[in-house]
Amino acid sequence: MSVSEIVFQAGNATNGSGAANATNASAAGGGQTFPEILSGLLGLGPNPDPGLQFLFAIVGATLIAVLFLTIAAVGGIWGKRKITAAFTDRIAVNRVGPFGLLIIVADAVRLLSKEVIIPDAVDRPAFDIAPMVLPFSALLGFAVIPLGSGLQLADPETGFVFVFAASSLASLGLLMSGYSSNNKYSFLGGLRALAQNLAYEIPLVVTGASVVLFTGTLKLSEVVAVQSQPLLTIGGLTIPSWFAFVNPFAFVLFLIANLAEVGRNPFDTPEAPGELVAGYMTEYSGAYFVLLYLGEFLHIFLGGAIVATLFLGGPAGPVLPGLVWMVIKILAVYLFTQWMRSAMPRVRIDQMIEIGWKGLLVMSFANLVLTAILVGVIA
Amino acid sequence: MSLERPTDRSDAVGVTEEGLDYDALADLLGDSVVSREQHRHTEAFTIRPDEVQDVLFALRDQAGFDHCSNVTAQEYEDRFETVYNLKKYVDPTQELSVVVPTSKDNPVSQSAEPVYRTADWHEREAYDLVGIQYEDHPDMRRILLPETWKGHPMGLDYNQEKPQIVTLEAHANPLEDDEHDAGADTMYLNIGPHHPATHGVLHIETVLDGEQVAHVEPDIGYLHRCEEQMAQQGTYRHEIMPYPDRWDYVSAGILNEWAYARTAEELTDLDVPDYAQVIRTMSAELCRIAAHMLAVGTFALDVYGEFTATFMYAFRDREVVENILEDLTGQRLMFNYLRLGGVAWDLPEPREDFFEKVRDFLDGLPHKLDEYHDLLTSNEIFQLRCANTGVLDAETAKQYGATGPVARASGVDYDIRRDDPYGYYPELDWDVVTAEEGDNYARVLCRLQEVEESARIIDQCVDLLEDWPEDDREIQSNVPRTLRPDDDAEIYRAVEGAKGELGIYIRSDGTDKPARFKIRSPAFSNLQTLPEIAVGEYVPDLIASLASLDIVLGEVDR
Repeated sequence: MSVSEIVFQAGNATNGSGAANATNASAAGGGQTFPEILSGLLGLGPNPDPGLQFLFAIVGATLIAVLFLTIAAVGGIWGKRKITAAFTDRIAVNRVGPFGLLIIVADAVRLLSKEVIIPDAVDRPAFDIAPMVLPFSALLGFAVIPLGSGLQLADPETGFVFVFAASSLASLGLLMSGYSSNNKYSFLGGLRALAQNLAYEIPLVVTGASVVLFTGTLKLSEVVAVQSQPLLTIGGLTIPSWFAFVNPFAFVLFLIANLAEVGRNPFDTPEAPGELVAGYMTEYSGAYFVLLYLGEFLHIFLGGAIVATLFLGGPAGPVLPGLVWMVIKILAVYLFTQWMRSAMPRVRIDQMIEIGWKGLLVMSFANLVLTAILVGVIA
Repeated sequence: MSLERPTDRSDAVGVTEEGLDYDALADLLGDSVVSREQHRHTEAFTIRPDEVQDVLFALRDQAGFDHCSNVTAQEYEDRFETVYNLKKYVDPTQELSVVVPTSKDNPVSQSAEPVYRTADWHEREAYDLVGIQYEDHPDMRRILLPETWKGHPMGLDYNQEKPQIVTLEAHANPLEDDEHDAGADTMYLNIGPHHPATHGVLHIETVLDGEQVAHVEPDIGYLHRCEEQMAQQGTYRHEIMPYPDRWDYVSAGILNEWAYARTAEELTDLDVPDYAQVIRTMSAELCRIAAHMLAVGTFALDVYGEFTATFMYAFRDREVVENILEDLTGQRLMFNYLRLGGVAWDLPEPREDFFEKVRDFLDGLPHKLDEYHDLLTSNEIFQLRCANTGVLDAETAKQYGATGPVARASGVDYDIRRDDPYGYYPELDWDVVTAEEGDNYARVLCRLQEVEESARIIDQCVDLLEDWPEDDREIQSNVPRTLRPDDDAEIYRAVEGAKGELGIYIRSDGTDKPARFKIRSPAFSNLQTLPEIAVGEYVPDLIASLASLDIVLGEVDR
């Protein structure tokens, strides 16, 4: 409750001071957070009683969670099969319901009705907490992402830092699950996951920081707002100054580091089916497995949301509502990960760490310095 | 890379223009040779059980027999016998059998392992199934059956009715004794028998030092189905032929059948009509394509992950081959198509449709292979992963009796189709694919190129079959109803299977069933090289190396 209060105050403070950005912000889908909009709609003013603020925040959080759990269900159960099938020249599910869509129901029932098998000598409660940490950290990240159409739970000054902090909580979940499973494959998977996340978290954040150099703020709604300015106009078509266009190098770096962060080919070493059976997930079954699996997909979507927010103009886009554009962008990044998965070999763990520390880290710092110089010269 | 045989080592003892001079070889060995006899395929020297190593060293180093192709153990009424079938990699038609008899009450003979590394597993199998002990063997344990098994099933006095208790001794760390430092950071890891990358039921006992492999030991036998014993209970004419399909069961069936057909036909002096030979050659090469596609696809699976497109592409293309083979044989995997003296039936009617189907496949193949090269061999990450990992040098390959694409990728120019010709291969124009590097990359590349060569062979076969005069389409020669080879005739013959030299040793006893039927499986020997290529590599490379050996456990365990 106190957090949301601080958030609101911070939000108000910026709204008061950053008058220049106010028009841009509203153009990009509103400078208000969802609880504020809600309370405004109910005629309670921007700053009602803390209990109500809490209630509105819960309503918003539920909405966002349901939205992304739905996307995870459709994208993770049905979409993944269809996409992979398209890449690998197959048909995939087409028997249950139209286009096989009802497989989502069938799979959900199947997965949830499975027994949760807890092996002997697993390290509880770490074994039980890990499956919750993973989806929790991903959903937590969505709290500060401006999803468009006014759907942003909170908009703190430090949104950028918050979203990376939340998503890297996942490493903890991975390590917990790997370490507590009392299985050597899980153990190796957990350690790999941690080594990988350490190696790629830094380039990820540093590359993201180059965006911050442009915007001069860590507040995600303003990062989005800045991108709505036109970059150049070609034949009447205005290209917005999305950072993917302004700094494509950083965009590519970020996409690669993001692939490693979510553990997809060519960087899917923590799971590495074929080597480590299923890595940290090996011993999980039933609802626990569902949670881990869900967490993984939510992380891909969070990764997509971050990419969209920092580089693809957030929810901005013509004709369709902002939220739809945001979902399209998130799914595009998801599609990209599935494409990599179908076409790319997995690098070895030592090669992967080498690429992370010796390649991406250096390049991300070079990018940061270059951007700093560029921004300094222009400014 | 040609049909021309590499030049022979003429300085080796016994090599003459007319072939091997066995007298010179006998002179080389002197008193060690107790007696000489004639096997169907070559001459055999009988030697004393305590002179095995001396004799084999002399034969290897001075006479050039660098390939211990097969080791067969058998029990007679009055003695045990180990037969070493020796060959030369430069010319496998130069053969020699070395027979080592041992007494019934003390079945001990010297091990050949110091001479040929491959004898390690072969002798363990001989000990396991027949019960001969090998002195000086580094690791005289059972190999196919569990450690706790009582008795030796292929011995004459084995009681098949007796129940057996089977336990698994898991979590035994083979490096435990070496770890004087209590803080040594090694970890014992069971890879398999149920693991996605073992391509069947293989158990690899691995010791890891961090992510690096410190020790590897394949533990086989999970798919042992007594194939040799079953073959010994079948009659030559029809009852054995279905079994070979079950050895290398992933679509290499006709290649396996040919191994039996060739051996039995030579044993019983059967001719095969040319027309049938062409059909055999064509169908066998179709099988090779199907098998290599699967090998490449599963390799991709192990290097890429379970959602790779390459795997599905390989299966899609293999499917076409399977359809063609189904049209031809009526079966998709267990063909049972070859017969002694020919094939089961002629090409399906209408013939034009069948030819068109084959031609369509062949026409589309170059484009498909380009796709594989795009996805696999030209992918930089793939190269990063596969080049210089799992390196097997030529000498080690020979020591382990490696054959097929595994040996050829290590620069051992050895292909039975060319070097010990059979079927219609000598009349056709094709090349033997080799590579020098001996790494995982070279093995994959070799297989992809062999698919091209197989396609060339099939193309020529289709040409021949199309123009074959209608009144000359003889699919089987005249074969007696019951085949009874001479008493005590012994023969070892091999063909180029999908994985390498697939050989069969048969000893007849005058009845219509073999007295001893031994399968020399290429995957068995190839798998033996795994510790050589995987120790010191990382876990992912162990998996990739295993996949690049392209083993089929049905053939390893038999």
